Amino acid sequence: MTPKRKISLSEEELVLALRNREKIAVEALYNMYSASLFGVISRIITDEAIAEDVLQETFVKIWHSFSGYSSEKGRLFTWMVNIARNLAIDKVRSKDFKNQSKNHELENNVTFIDEQKNTVYKPELLGIRDLVSTLKPEQRSILDLVYFKGYTHVEAADELGVPLGTIKTRLRMGILQLRKHFNE
Amino acid sequence: MENVKAYIESGILELYVLGDISAEEKLQVEDMAQKYPEIRAEITEIEKSMEFYAEEHAIEPPADLRQRVLGSLLVNLGDDNTFTKAVTHQDDDHIKRLPGTRVNNFYKYAFAACLTLLLISVYGLVNIYSKLQDSNTQLTAMQTDKIRIANQVNLMDSQLDMYRDTTYKVLRLKGLPKTPSAAMILAWNSVSKKVMVDVQSVKLPKNDKQHQYQLWALVNGKPVDMGVFDAPEADTAGIKEMKAIASAQGFAVTLEPTGGSINPTMDQMVVIGQF
Repeated sequence: MTPKRKISLSEEELVLALRNREKIAVEALYNMYSASLFGVISRIITDEAIAEDVLQETFVKIWHSFSGYSSEKGRLFTWMVNIARNLAIDKVRSKDFKNQSKNHELENNVTFIDEQKNTVYKPELLGIRDLVSTLKPEQRSILDLVYFKGYTHVEAADELGVPLGTIKTRLRMGILQLRKHFNE
Repeated sequence: MENVKAYIESGILELYVLGDISAEEKLQVEDMAQKYPEIRAEITEIEKSMEFYAEEHAIEPPADLRQRVLGSLLVNLGDDNTFTKAVTHQDDDHIKRLPGTRVNNFYKYAFAACLTLLLISVYGLVNIYSKLQDSNTQLTAMQTDKIRIANQVNLMDSQLDMYRDTTYKVLRLKGLPKTPSAAMILAWNSVSKKVMVDVQSVKLPKNDKQHQYQLWALVNGKPVDMGVFDAPEADTAGIKEMKAIASAQGFAVTLEPTGGSINPTMDQMVVIGQF
């Protein structure tokens, strides 16, 4: 465990603390989710400085619009990752960003990031990387397009030249395979 | 429940978790999740898988970013305690949108300027148009005047011609003892045989609807009908052409029933004149 992870709460505790706008909630939120969210943002925005700005914006937005989150509708991370992804996609599609034309070709992006950065391996997740590489390549590419790149499944079907039904099936099969392993 | 199983297998729950779903479908899924615990559990499982998947792809952000983010959130926290949340939020939005606003303002002002110019132009056009209308009306009035005056001049000319022309014999008819103030002037052309009455010179009492004045030529002592006429309105100028006659020693006017009579009513004679 790194020292940065010293404050950690259960999801219920964190949601309660955020709702009460406690100081401890801010640190716990960052400790628990910054790396996961930054992983998602970095796969959309390759420019590190901009990705860092978007992560900051993401936390500010989570903090400000927390009243809009309801645990009845889903898990906290699902809600946060949507905020991060939307902010990152908005940034990529903004005029300023396009002018910089620093974006890389999409297909190479995810692997490119993995090569460039030190991904965090948690002890409890050891072995999962093996699993991910055992995901069928076509399942993985769709999952990455939709989950990390914010493609709609319709756009992904277009990009990959695969029928919509197939896209849906591959998404479901890929996620099922992930579930099987995480539950072992 | 078969349909719940089919619903789970349709893949819509995966799309729901991935955020790739329309607002309507989203409400539908949330509705189903509330009705069927199996669906709620399925969604949670998918969410957990994706959460693990994200953790597996996690990238530790630089250490200095932690201070930046926590700093900005804690500043916000301080602000939240001092000001209302809404104010802070609006301020943020305002700062972000400023460049866009500037561009919008330019078009706003340009549009306002165009609109103003348009209004001024329209106002000017309306003014000029009404002036043009005025001028046209005046021009028409003047043309009418001009024609009227030209007609009058022509009339005067022909009137004068009557007196200048030596072939015309001018005869002044004078009133009788009964009608001392009556008078009129006529001219007889011995060549063209025309008889003209100078309307302006006619000084006769007004006749009523049942009566008209009748002009008679005296040919060898006998009266010959020369046509009827009414006493003219005051200040009426012009020449009235009567019937033609080859020769006459004199002329007389009597008041007769409207349309004239075959023989003159002698006691109704008003004027008479002889060459």
